[in-house]
Amino acid sequence: MSKDNGLHVSLEQAKMLVEYIETGQQDKADDLIAEIQNPINTELFAEIGKLTRQLHDSLNNFQVDARLSDLANADIPDAKERLNYVITRTEEAANKTMDAVESIFPVVDNIQAQIKAVNPLWDKLMNNDLDVTEFKVLCKDIGALLKTTERDTSHMHALMTDVLMAQDFQDLTGQVIRKVIELVREVEDSLINMLTVFGISSDEAKNVAKPKVGDNLVEGPIVNAKERDDVVADQDDVDDLLSSLGF
Amino acid sequence: MDKNMKVLVVDDFSTMRRIVKNLLRDLGFTNIQEADDGSTALPMLKEGEFDFVVTDWNMPGMQGIDLLKAIRADASLSHIPVLLITAEAKKEQIVMAAQAGVNGYIVKPFTAATLKAKLDKIFERLG
Repeated sequence: MSKDNGLHVSLEQAKMLVEYIETGQQDKADDLIAEIQNPINTELFAEIGKLTRQLHDSLNNFQVDARLSDLANADIPDAKERLNYVITRTEEAANKTMDAVESIFPVVDNIQAQIKAVNPLWDKLMNNDLDVTEFKVLCKDIGALLKTTERDTSHMHALMTDVLMAQDFQDLTGQVIRKVIELVREVEDSLINMLTVFGISSDEAKNVAKPKVGDNLVEGPIVNAKERDDVVADQDDVDDLLSSLGF
Repeated sequence: MDKNMKVLVVDDFSTMRRIVKNLLRDLGFTNIQEADDGSTALPMLKEGEFDFVVTDWNMPGMQGIDLLKAIRADASLSHIPVLLITAEAKKEQIVMAAQAGVNGYIVKPFTAATLKAKLDKIFERLG
């Protein structure tokens, strides 16, 4: 084949053309004509062929990484289940705690009411203004108050212990969340690896990434308020912002 | 401030509804109902003769901000004071809520004292 890739047909090429046709090698004649018209194509095809082979090899190596498949099919559904578990456990703990607290309120209120009831007569006693009958009533009331308080404070103690024990969710949910963080790290590594294989720098992506935001800018609780200048830090900031705007 | 007023507490987390309800009860409010989303709250309001709404922002069906806008757009409901209690803390969002006609904005986590202060302020302003 001629190595002359110039745009003008050469004498050598023309002679070869005639030879092919005279010897009945029509295909070779046609190929030569095509090559004369588009010499660039040969190199281009060679390049494309090379790239295709590279891409094919990359994709093949990629599929060999079974971790990706495991991540998608087993670990991520598992992570979702774990996070749902966290929601369930924290909800249970919150409700258990509130049950105990709601039980304590009336007990405390009752003690307060009894003390309020006793106070007037007690004050009279302190002012030396109590007669014997009233004194007997006061003694009886205080006796009852002491008994109730003894029983109720013991009951409250038990409820407080319930509150304490309900905090055990933190240990369990903490462990579960740690596992999910580990999983997220693995997914992150795989994704970065994938970007690298396809020649995309993960540094470019970092500048573009912004917190994911829904309708009306909703974002949920902000976990890194210190690093942001578009959020308020506390209720005082909210109040200041609103009053500065005349609300 | 009539503590017998009918209050609607809206939040998609039942634990938060329970907390707000408890705090309101502590402050003397006794007539409290609950809804788990803006979309379930709105029909209750249309039917119900409520005097006050306490709502979260971020709810899956209808957000609190949209509930607020719906309340203000409905002639029979527009007079009802609305208090937002939410983790949404972007300045833009606070302004958005104020412009939509919210009467108070509390960011989570919040204290019982803050709730009381905001309630007092809202009803003082309404006169």
